[in-house]
Amino acid sequence: MRVLPLAALLCGSWFSLPALAATDASQWLDRVDRAEQQRSFQGTFVYERSGSFSTHAIWHRATGGRVVERVFQLDGLAQEAVRVDGRPQCASVAPEAGTGGADANTRAYDALKLMSWYDLKVAGDSRVAGRPAVVITLTPKDRDRYALELHLDRETGLPLKSLLLNAGGQLLERLQFTRFVTDVPTDTDLKPSADCRAVSAGAESIALSAVPWRAEWAPAGFERVSASHYQTADGAPVDHMLFDDGLARFSVFIEPASSPRATDGRTQLGPTAAVSRRIPSDRGDMMVTVVGEIPLGTAERVALSMRAQAEGKKP
Amino acid sequence: MSREALQESLSAVMDNEADELELRRVLSAVEDSEARATWSRYQVARAAMHKELLNPRLDLASAVSAALADEAVPARSTPRPWRSLGRLAVAASVTLAVLAGVRMYNQNEINGAQVAQQAPQPVLVAPQAQGPAVLAGYTESSEQVKAPALQNQAGWQDEKLPGYVRQHAQESANKGAESALPYARSASMENR
Repeated sequence: MRVLPLAALLCGSWFSLPALAATDASQWLDRVDRAEQQRSFQGTFVYERSGSFSTHAIWHRATGGRVVERVFQLDGLAQEAVRVDGRPQCASVAPEAGTGGADANTRAYDALKLMSWYDLKVAGDSRVAGRPAVVITLTPKDRDRYALELHLDRETGLPLKSLLLNAGGQLLERLQFTRFVTDVPTDTDLKPSADCRAVSAGAESIALSAVPWRAEWAPAGFERVSASHYQTADGAPVDHMLFDDGLARFSVFIEPASSPRATDGRTQLGPTAAVSRRIPSDRGDMMVTVVGEIPLGTAERVALSMRAQAEGKKP
Repeated sequence: MSREALQESLSAVMDNEADELELRRVLSAVEDSEARATWSRYQVARAAMHKELLNPRLDLASAVSAALADEAVPARSTPRPWRSLGRLAVAASVTLAVLAGVRMYNQNEINGAQVAQQAPQPVLVAPQAQGPAVLAGYTESSEQVKAPALQNQAGWQDEKLPGYVRQHAQESANKGAESALPYARSASMENR
């Protein structure tokens, strides 16, 4: 009987001390990871951010350690993506560089790591897509990241709703299931349509130590987790780095500022901030663009702190 | 220094035509009573020529000097504790005002972002008011999202950003759970 220990755990969380609550929240987060690897489900969800609202269908099949997932947009453009074991197989709008080939087997939520930068808490109960859910909040301890509110399905531990909030408590984005069933999707469900273009592995993954750039400043807890080098369609070489604090992620793209139109700029697209800065280096002016789910000011600070690594230091 | 040279310099200064050297010469001769008398006479002559009113006996400089000489030097008061406390209070209130100002400034910034993010909502609440409501609402809101950007939006960033955002979403999905979220984010960019 799976429900009994779970119920005990939940009752415990209501009466426990805050410290215990944090442990409880971290147990829930640990469960998400396992659930995504072991549980099959299908349903529909809505995604909302400032200026955009869309509906999507999802099929997720986990059998024998193999996870196949297909997501398909139901309104507007018929966009879809199919992933096998976290690796993209095809997408309607594939990134030009393809996938960086970075290893996809990282843990979903590393609660221990998250606890350093966020306050984890079980905030209570809710109901999403007709199913009872538990609310986990991750509140940042500084102003360099956003807060996340997760509503996890009590039965499976899968996220049914996730809200991203800024320091002022304003909603930046919402992903929320409207229908959620644990039926195993069929092969037909998971079959990509003809419009789904295969994702190539065009980007060349490079060792972290070999990246010719370094950030003199990055918000506490953000580590460089992957780096790649690729060429855009017009032949410009781009260095890409991904930073991660266990929850939030931002990318740094660096390419030569060949066009005189390449000037500083910044944009906020819902939760995603994008800042471009022209940085002088010994290889001429470079354009540094920071894209990620971090506050605009933080992204700007990161962009301004990018420095070329001295040639001699390259192994 | 010859008398003639000094008089010539005085004249030049009065006509506002003196060079650096002449000005210095005149300034160093200010203490000389004869030079002052000459200056005074020149002023009278000038006033007469320009038909200006002038009180030739008015010598402000010497009057002020005399007054200063007569004045007793004020005794240095011993510093009183309440006084330094008062200064501290003033400094503290200035700091507080600055901090409050900074905070309010920051809040304004946030509120600005909030307006950009939340403005579309009234449109959603009363969609009937705007004909093909959803489409109208969304075009408007996408403009509002772009509002805080700098002017160069039409150029380089517009060209590069979609690719970067897509790449970022892709790489984010490779890491960690909820791959649906980066996918949805990326998809919402294409919908614009």
